[in-house]
Amino acid sequence: MSKDGEKSGWKEYIWNPRTREFMGRTASSWGLILLFYVVFYIFLAGLFALTMYVMLQTLDDYKPTWQDRLATPGMVIRPKSDETYEIVYDTRNTETWDLYAQALDKFLTPYNNSLQTEKNKECTPDEYFLQEDTGDVKNNPKRSCQFNRTILEACSGINDRYYGYQIGQPCIIIKLNRVIGMLPGKDGQAPFVTCAAKKYKIGKDQWREDTDKIGEMVYFPPNGIFNLMYYPYYGKKAQVNYSQPLVAVKFLNITTNEDVNIECRINATNIPIGSERDKFAGRVSFKLRINTK
Amino acid sequence: MGYGRSDSYRVATTQDKDDRSPKKKKGAKDMDDLKKEVPITEHKMSIEEVCRKYQTDIVQGLTNAKAAEYLIRDGPNALTPPPTTPEWVKFCRQLFGGFSVLLWTGAILCFLAYAIQAATEDDPAGDNLYLGIVLTAVVVITGCFSYFQEAKSSKIMESFKNMVPQQALVIREGEKVQINAEEVVGGDLVEVKGGDRIPADIRVVSAHGCKVDNSSLTGESEPQSRSPDCTHDNPLETRNIAFFSTNCVEGTARGIVICTGDNTVMGRIATLTSGLETGKTPIAKEIEHFIHIITGVAVFLGLTFFILAIVLGYSWLEAVIFLIGIIVANVPEGLLATVTVCLTLTAKRMAKKNCLVKNLEAVETLGSTSTICSDKTGTLTQNRMTVAHMWFDNQIHEADTTEDQSGASFDKSSITWISLARVAALCNRAQFKAGQDQLPILKRDVAGDASESALLKCIELSCGSVRAMRDRNKKVAEIPFNSTNKYQLSVHETEDLNDNRYLLVMKGAPERVLECCSTILVQGKEQPLDEELKEAFQNAYMELGGLGERVLGFCHVLLPEDQYPKGFAFDTDDVNFQTKDLCFVGLMSMIDPPRAAVPDAVGKCRSAGIKVIMVTGDHPITAKAIAKGVGIISEGNETVEDIAARLNIPVSQVNPRDAKACVCHGTDLKDLSQDQMDDILRNHTEIVFARTSPQQKLIIVEGCQRLGAIVAVTGDGVNDSPALKKADIGVAMGISGSDVSKQAADMILLDDNFASIVTGVEEGRLIFDNLKKSIAYTLTSNIPEITPFLLFIIVNIPLPLGTITILCIDLGTDMVPAISLAYEAAESDIMKRQPRNPFRDKLVNERLISIAYGQIVTAGFALGGFFAYFVILAENGFLPTTLVGIRLNWDDRSCNDLEDTYGQQWTYEQRKIVEFTCHTAFFVSIVVVQWADVIICKTRRNSVFQQGMRNKILIFGLFEETALAAFLSYCPVTHVSHGNLWWFCAFPYSFLIFVYDEVRKLLIRRNPGGWVERETYY
Repeated sequence: MSKDGEKSGWKEYIWNPRTREFMGRTASSWGLILLFYVVFYIFLAGLFALTMYVMLQTLDDYKPTWQDRLATPGMVIRPKSDETYEIVYDTRNTETWDLYAQALDKFLTPYNNSLQTEKNKECTPDEYFLQEDTGDVKNNPKRSCQFNRTILEACSGINDRYYGYQIGQPCIIIKLNRVIGMLPGKDGQAPFVTCAAKKYKIGKDQWREDTDKIGEMVYFPPNGIFNLMYYPYYGKKAQVNYSQPLVAVKFLNITTNEDVNIECRINATNIPIGSERDKFAGRVSFKLRINTK
Repeated sequence: MGYGRSDSYRVATTQDKDDRSPKKKKGAKDMDDLKKEVPITEHKMSIEEVCRKYQTDIVQGLTNAKAAEYLIRDGPNALTPPPTTPEWVKFCRQLFGGFSVLLWTGAILCFLAYAIQAATEDDPAGDNLYLGIVLTAVVVITGCFSYFQEAKSSKIMESFKNMVPQQALVIREGEKVQINAEEVVGGDLVEVKGGDRIPADIRVVSAHGCKVDNSSLTGESEPQSRSPDCTHDNPLETRNIAFFSTNCVEGTARGIVICTGDNTVMGRIATLTSGLETGKTPIAKEIEHFIHIITGVAVFLGLTFFILAIVLGYSWLEAVIFLIGIIVANVPEGLLATVTVCLTLTAKRMAKKNCLVKNLEAVETLGSTSTICSDKTGTLTQNRMTVAHMWFDNQIHEADTTEDQSGASFDKSSITWISLARVAALCNRAQFKAGQDQLPILKRDVAGDASESALLKCIELSCGSVRAMRDRNKKVAEIPFNSTNKYQLSVHETEDLNDNRYLLVMKGAPERVLECCSTILVQGKEQPLDEELKEAFQNAYMELGGLGERVLGFCHVLLPEDQYPKGFAFDTDDVNFQTKDLCFVGLMSMIDPPRAAVPDAVGKCRSAGIKVIMVTGDHPITAKAIAKGVGIISEGNETVEDIAARLNIPVSQVNPRDAKACVCHGTDLKDLSQDQMDDILRNHTEIVFARTSPQQKLIIVEGCQRLGAIVAVTGDGVNDSPALKKADIGVAMGISGSDVSKQAADMILLDDNFASIVTGVEEGRLIFDNLKKSIAYTLTSNIPEITPFLLFIIVNIPLPLGTITILCIDLGTDMVPAISLAYEAAESDIMKRQPRNPFRDKLVNERLISIAYGQIVTAGFALGGFFAYFVILAENGFLPTTLVGIRLNWDDRSCNDLEDTYGQQWTYEQRKIVEFTCHTAFFVSIVVVQWADVIICKTRRNSVFQQGMRNKILIFGLFEETALAAFLSYCPVTHVSHGNLWWFCAFPYSFLIFVYDEVRKLLIRRNPGGWVERETYY
């Protein structure tokens, strides 16, 4: 009985034939309220668009307003396996290292000498390549310096297509994140990368270093420097063909069949040491394990 | 007791339960049974019959064996406590009711998510763990809070228990034994004496000057005598029954126990009271309604997006985190606490105005009240008999009945008046209790019955010390009042020491007194009582009686010295002196006058659309007189009887629809069907119910509720407690009220004054309006909490607002402003509008939702917040075009060279800091827009410029909110960088919603009933 009443109540609510109301409103009432909301939202959308437009107008096209988050530029390595910073492969199993080689190939393609000579300028090394604007007159587009793949020598993949992976002497390529206007190094001292064994925790208050396992390393270009001529960076819009400088590290006799934790960091007097929390600001760490048996 | 027409008529009940055809609703049979009248018939039986019925002996009492047998059969003579819910169940109910379930779900999901993260990641982020802990804390704290609120009430049975007498003197096997009252059984012969509590319902078999105080049961304040004779068919009115838990004031009595424990009259009321389902308070219903809506929306949105997330290819863990986010965003965590605090604040404010609120939710109930059923004695009236009129010198004089005695007076030099005062002072056994000389006369306590006290105070006020007068006129002999004589007389020496005559003074029922008189004192001269003067007397008597007043006649005579020389032995048993041919002096009439503030209060109730019904045990004439006096029956409105009298036609010929007022007699009430009852309640605007029993009071309340009214009941006696409990809001009297009535009530008037109810109504209405504002305010910050999640999932932008930040808003910055709205002053005269319709005027209606969610929110919050979000990201290098679809890489921990619009590259931590800055910016934007919002919510119709900013708490709230926001955004944990930019992003939007809402309110004011009002006035 009561259920029927409820049911008809619901029915009546959805469509009341007597008052011609759908969900408690007549057609004109629905029309009005919908019209109101449409107009209201169009107005709001317009207003939002307007404020956004005004805000975008205040922005500089070539340089973001704030860069303080990027004081310590991040560092990353290539090749990168997904999700983790672990390079693990087996020399006897081609498939396990081939994809690293392919990834490096792909990554280094833009650095081919032919491409670089075609697009970029040969700059004077060891000094900043400044291309300042003169007042309001933009000095655009800005040229970029060549970073030829051959600079990486043994790690360029030209002579050794597999970057030493197949013989247990892998190359790791390190790059420093681009930050507009950053001038790393001071007094002609170029920033350089050093890699070392990483301290890591094995238990409470127990730390271990794999110094003895890391073996000998070779940096390309020599000393692992980022040449000053690649700085400053003027941004994607002004400096379209910018080639980010790279440093390659080749591990010559790293202990095999064991995990080796390595940390590389940038050394430049004017780059602050990043926060403890950010493990990729001015440093990068990864694990290398080469299985041979 | 009493003369004139003062017989106890407070309670009109019927005992003829068997005569009535049982008309039952389905179920609740016991309850219906209890609503019937008392089924006692023993008072009509002879003592022998009663003895036979209980197999007892009038001298020896029960045998011990029999008593033991009865005890086993009937159980102990105690009230059965109602089944109680264990405390932990109540606690759990609080812990898992309302929004709690949702929040628990959220908390459990948080812990689950954290557990999964902890198991799979090396360095799990603590966010989910903290969130889970915070959510749990919120639920537990609010749960405890409401539990302690609830634990304070519901102690009705305890106060009934207090009434159980400890010991009883019974006669068993011919010996008097003192036993525990619990062991008293039916048929026991018990003895009571002055000061005892009656151990059970007893049929009196013998009594010596026994008087009982039935006030706790019937509301009648005067002690009533008890004797073995059946004087009335009604068991509650007959003299030969004394009731369980009433007090024996003086004398002794012996009686046979006829009912024990729950079967006693008091026990039935107790069972009835504690067994009544009170139903939810209107505000509880509103809040439940609101919770249902919000929960529905939260669950719907949560599940939709959970499924959507799964479909879009997010992992289970991510989907669960979204679900938590949506639940947290949807539930206004702080709202229930806000409501409780608002109600508490109002309750405190009301307590200052003498309304003590026991049940918090009752605060609002009074505001939605549409009918007040008020008791007469003590609530509408002062509960103090006062001399109202005097008739002497063939003229009616008005005595001053006002509380401060500021009224007009009369010529006090008249000899007749002096004589009248002397008679009233001398023929009076009442006297002031000792040690009250400093108190004003009207406030002093008097030993003696109500009428005599009234006379005593009247004479003391106008003629000075009565005691001195009595000392000067020593009492020689006295015949106390008895119901056969209907008068009281005493003989005194005269003041004049040389005059050795005796003065005989008499007072009593006017017609009886007049019979004893042959002369009358007019202008100080004795005149023979001729027909003309008798007629004048009759007219005066009728007139005063018609005013509902209790009239007494006074006469005196100076006994001739030759017949009654000094030292004459007056024999009061065998009257050996003159009681005829006395000299009539005058009449004095008394009434329990209405309280000074009541007529005004009733008028206010009426203009506030509240129907005031008087429900009293008193006589219809008195009730009607008081009703007219206080405006319950307004001037010019007639009852059916009035119309009949005016047109001089029989009552049956009057169309009942013509009469707006109605005085309904309790005995008529019991013959009415439900429909007829509804008819009366619907068609008369001004109703007085006279001579009603507790059960009938309950029926009246139920009748009103059946018609959809929200009923407030005021009352003071135990007899009122069922109605008090049944009412939507029961209002007990703080001074005169019995403990039971106070326990059954939701609210207590500390000054017993009806006018305080009006204050309560005003506060109740105000808090309802202000709660709407509070909720509108709280809800508006709710949608902007959800939209970030929606865009996060759908458009794949970095999360604009984190769950922790949401909690900061809900439990931090929003709380004080929301509470401050409870202090908002009324926008218009809330006492000039109709009470809210509980079916139509909801606390949260679709217009409020439409305004809160549809307009203010999108206009201000969402846009303001998103604007700040976009500004922060853009200034850091991520323009909106880059942002869309960036989410996957953005939240990828291993991607540490994410490129922004300018070509710079970001590590995970670097961009997360920017994201936190965005959360902070969004949060601050919400706070900024909340400034405007709280000002918007201050009023629903008026402009803020009309309303003003006088609410200091609100201003404090604004500052507190801002300070808290500043603290949260600048404390080191929240990763703040560069500048205070975000504070200004939302300003235009804040200003926009303010202007928008002012325009909306302007349109509402300009076009009352127009489209804007219909669609947006909440």
